[in-house]
Amino acid sequence: MSIPGSAPPGSVHVDQLWKRFRADRSRPVFRDEVTRIADRIRLGRQAATRWRWALRDVRLSIEPGESVGLFGANGSGKSTLLKILTRVMYPTAGSLRIAGRVGALIEVKAGIHPDLTGRENIFLYGSILGLRRPDIARRFDAIVEFADVGDAVDRQLKYYSSGMAMRLGFAVAAFLEPSILLVDEVLAVGDAEFQQRCLDRMRAVLNEGTTLVYVSHDLASIEAIAKRGIWLRDGIVRADGPIRESLGAYRHHIESAALTSEDGSGQLGLAAMVSGPNGSAPASQQPLQIDLTLKSRLPQRVVLYLGVSEGPAAPVFSLRHEALLGEGVTHSTCTIEAAPLPRGHYYLWLAATGPAGGDLTPWHPVTSFELLGDELDATLPGVVRLSPVHVKARWQGTTSAITTASSA
Amino acid sequence: MTTRTAEADSSAVVGLPSEPPAGIRFRRRLGLREAMVELWRSRELIRTLVERDLRVRYKRTVLGFGWAILGPVVFMLVFTLFFQRAGHFATGHVPYPLFSYIALVPWTFFSEAASLAGVSLISNLPLLNKVYCPREVFPIASTITAAFDAVMSTTVLLVLFAAYQYPPRLATLWTPLLIAVEVAFALGFSLFASSTLIYLRDLRYIVPMVVQVGMFASPVAFGLSVIPAGLRPLYAAIDPLAPVLDGFRRTVLHGLTPEWGLLGIAALASFAWLIGGYALFKRLETRFADFA
Repeated sequence: MSIPGSAPPGSVHVDQLWKRFRADRSRPVFRDEVTRIADRIRLGRQAATRWRWALRDVRLSIEPGESVGLFGANGSGKSTLLKILTRVMYPTAGSLRIAGRVGALIEVKAGIHPDLTGRENIFLYGSILGLRRPDIARRFDAIVEFADVGDAVDRQLKYYSSGMAMRLGFAVAAFLEPSILLVDEVLAVGDAEFQQRCLDRMRAVLNEGTTLVYVSHDLASIEAIAKRGIWLRDGIVRADGPIRESLGAYRHHIESAALTSEDGSGQLGLAAMVSGPNGSAPASQQPLQIDLTLKSRLPQRVVLYLGVSEGPAAPVFSLRHEALLGEGVTHSTCTIEAAPLPRGHYYLWLAATGPAGGDLTPWHPVTSFELLGDELDATLPGVVRLSPVHVKARWQGTTSAITTASSA
Repeated sequence: MTTRTAEADSSAVVGLPSEPPAGIRFRRRLGLREAMVELWRSRELIRTLVERDLRVRYKRTVLGFGWAILGPVVFMLVFTLFFQRAGHFATGHVPYPLFSYIALVPWTFFSEAASLAGVSLISNLPLLNKVYCPREVFPIASTITAAFDAVMSTTVLLVLFAAYQYPPRLATLWTPLLIAVEVAFALGFSLFASSTLIYLRDLRYIVPMVVQVGMFASPVAFGLSVIPAGLRPLYAAIDPLAPVLDGFRRTVLHGLTPEWGLLGIAALASFAWLIGGYALFKRLETRFADFA
């Protein structure tokens, strides 16, 4: 599948790629195939076998050294695409040209055998990945250090903690030195320190000119690593472009789906409007006014939760307020003195509970708004910013101007 | 960039057909030469897999490599107990334990290769589903593991030679030929069984049954002379192991040459298995991960 000479190593060209699976994967394969062949003979043509298309008309062109983030909901085809790029799976239709060695950083307890020692497993997994023994021996110390297993390297793997075993698998793959590195959900593995080490490793690999394709549900880490983002939905590429733009499209989609689905649920009616000072547009570091309309069937004391988010349900910040409601409509205004957010598109989330807990209205997005103002400063590549908070900061000594900076 | 999509089926939004246009179906282009080069490059992986299997067994069991020897030895004892006294089979002055053991070693190699390799893909499925390597390395590694056991169990043969003061004849030099035919058959069968097993899991139970029956259908406990001469060519075509097992006795024990006609048939059948099994394997290989 790799055609040396026709394309520079590290490049990926995918054209009109389609991949299908059987609709009902629980049925025995053989019975399915027999039915299919019987139908073909009886009807004289391909019968309508029920297929599920995991990828549809995917077209991609990745240049050497590019860092691409791949995201989308569960079942959108991310892993299937990755498997096709690693040649574990073959597409149903379309063409595929991959130049150079492909390495995959994928959660692997599979290659790893519990009865063998860590050392034996490193050699086993290394050769499964296509490394030669001298190559593995040369990288052995670096692998052990990266996996942080220490003296346990001569212990049988079944006596490792599950985190240690996974780190070992990752460490071997991390030192493959491929021209294309595919990474699937590293951050689900290992503790915070190991995650950071993985990100550092990815950044180092990128600096060496390796092409990186990174799949994750953690949008913040994608944003930290990738320059280009590809959003897959139902097997179709829905957005492909600079990371902030395509991530923005994806976030927007999640939110607007949530906005439409959560309408009118809950015992307490909640509505809100967001504005800036004196009815102007909301802006960074300016007062933010949130006008709430609360509809209750009886007078009661409730606890309101209010949050502002740019992505899914996890807000950048949240507020809690105990409110006394009359029967019918009550108006309430919340003013945030200086909105600690950079320019962008945000969502207002609300929930209400009784004084002793107990959901009256579940946590859901109520409205969205544009915020004007400054962009955030860029972070060091590979460093994940938890959420966009805009803080006022003053720099002295190296510059005379007053600027703003960002932090988490 | 279209982003506001509340529709359930997003292909309607993009205007995609429900199926790929005809004519762009993916066909893997893999020549025999390319496949062989790839396999050759994977030789270290095969070695590692064999090492893994052997190490694991050695670590898990008290007897370790002893198990490799124990299987054929037990069968030899059982056969001797039941058949020797009955005097059923013409052994041609060869002590019966030696007569049966010399066939049991190659037979055990085949049955172990078939049963280990048959499930080699299934038991490595999680791996197959994550990393790429030419898939035939798994059945090949299992066959080599079985061969290792066979080598171990020939040590008992040496003991038997000494105990009965019955030295092997010079014609033993023909055995590499017999081994080649047997290995071809074992590999062909393994490739066939392991690849079809992914599609038809029932084979997991069928293969051991076939192998068990095969032990009594092949000339292991008895000599080839039991079969009427007119049926032997057909017998050799169906069970290529028959002339091979008989060949070991003829050469090592009797100092004769193999029966060339029958061995020729067996060789043809074995290589047909090898080529057919490999072709089928490479064809089915592209969809292994889909069914994992």
